[in-house]
Amino acid sequence: MAIIKGYDMPDELYYHEEHSWARVEDNRVTVGMDDIFQKEAGDIVFVDLPDEEDEVEQGEVCGKIQSRKWIGKLCAPVSGEIIEINEELEDDTSLINQDPYGKGWILVIEPSGLEDELGNLMHGQDALTPFVEQEIKRTEEERAKA
Amino acid sequence: MEDNVSTALGLSIDDALPLSLSAHGSPPILHLYTFRPSAIVGKYQDIEAALRLDRCRDRGIEFNRRSTGGGTVIMGPKVVALGLGIDIDQPGLRGGIGGIFETLSTVLIRALEELGIKAGFMPKNDLEVGGKKIAGLSAALETEKAILFHASLLLDFDIPLMLDIMNQPPLKMSDKGYNCFSQRMTTIKEQLGHDIAMETVCGAIEVSFRDTFGVSLERDDPDTWENQRIQNLVAKRYTNPEWIFSHKHPRSHMGTGELKTPGGLLEIYLSLAGNTIEHVIITGDFFSTTRDINLLESSLKWTSSKRQKIEEHLSEVWRDDMIYGLDVATLTEAILKAKENTLNPLQKDV
Repeated sequence: MAIIKGYDMPDELYYHEEHSWARVEDNRVTVGMDDIFQKEAGDIVFVDLPDEEDEVEQGEVCGKIQSRKWIGKLCAPVSGEIIEINEELEDDTSLINQDPYGKGWILVIEPSGLEDELGNLMHGQDALTPFVEQEIKRTEEERAKA
Repeated sequence: MEDNVSTALGLSIDDALPLSLSAHGSPPILHLYTFRPSAIVGKYQDIEAALRLDRCRDRGIEFNRRSTGGGTVIMGPKVVALGLGIDIDQPGLRGGIGGIFETLSTVLIRALEELGIKAGFMPKNDLEVGGKKIAGLSAALETEKAILFHASLLLDFDIPLMLDIMNQPPLKMSDKGYNCFSQRMTTIKEQLGHDIAMETVCGAIEVSFRDTFGVSLERDDPDTWENQRIQNLVAKRYTNPEWIFSHKHPRSHMGTGELKTPGGLLEIYLSLAGNTIEHVIITGDFFSTTRDINLLESSLKWTSSKRQKIEEHLSEVWRDDMIYGLDVATLTEAILKAKENTLNPLQKDV
């Protein structure tokens, strides 16, 4: 576990700048949304997901997530085929808020270009700390201007 | 300013705004207009649960689905329809989801102030005057960096129409519906005590937008590229039954619950979208104010219906004696009772 500026950002995961995370296990990549996203979004109302067997590319918007009246996006952190969807989210979207890295997982991708693509993601505290600080600063700067 | 626009065309133009920003790097695009009399549901709402489609058809009320979140809006000649395409990094636009809604609500608050109405932001998605809702806001991140923002601002409103065409949790007394909603909504006409021209209101919004973002506004029409996108959206989305009657939404449930408390009888009317409270009406025999009840209801809109979350959201706004003789725990209990009845309609309380 790694807490960076109050946000839980586990060390073993890879992170996309649009707040999706990737857990790599053999030839499976489990995907979810990070703690920054779920705190910022608030209670998740609905998750609009792709279908199993859909092909996605790294960075592609592959789903939508509604919180209150805001609809945000789920970006695929890696390319590949969707092989599993978390069906528990159909009945309980709060799993994403309560347990974003555990029961709140969203989908699983069978990757097609992992070796090249992992380098495009953030991994480890050295990479994540400036990212988290930047996200906090972005919100604070605008609030200060207001 | 266009008026009497069909839902298909109005919503298509709005959807094209962020696409144009992304494709052309254009500055923000503000679209102010009025719809034909219509009912428009949020992107992930069950349209057949939200609306009485038979009554809509009988009354010639169009219905459609927009691409931003939130609930049902009733639109028409006395409701400003606002569509805005804006880059997430636009100078002056605060960061984060909350910041975006606060900034864009400021545009409308300043416009209302110009008209002589003191409005405030009702967290986290609406505008209020005197504790009553006057405008609703919704948004979606449509492309990598471009947001589509929607707002509806009431110059006047037909509550009986709304009660006729929208499905509501069953309200016990036939007149309670009108009183119930008239206590929760207000309009520019009600606040000013007289009618006001739509052009005047839209003019105030334009000035406020210009001042809030420090930009100049230039009237323009869609170019060839934009028109092609708009026509494509009309054909593929906003006249397509697959989009309008989409099944991509949480299950809808509506119901009621009652709880006798030391502070009086609580009657809760609840609409759930999956496990989310779409909206809640708190009524009954107790001492409170319209403003405080609206604040409590607003704090729960579009939030989780789990006990811990209800208590958390109520506690964020709670003050002593907000409802005389009640506390957060008791109000939560009443809401959970309504939830139980909503999900298990055969087990209603006597």
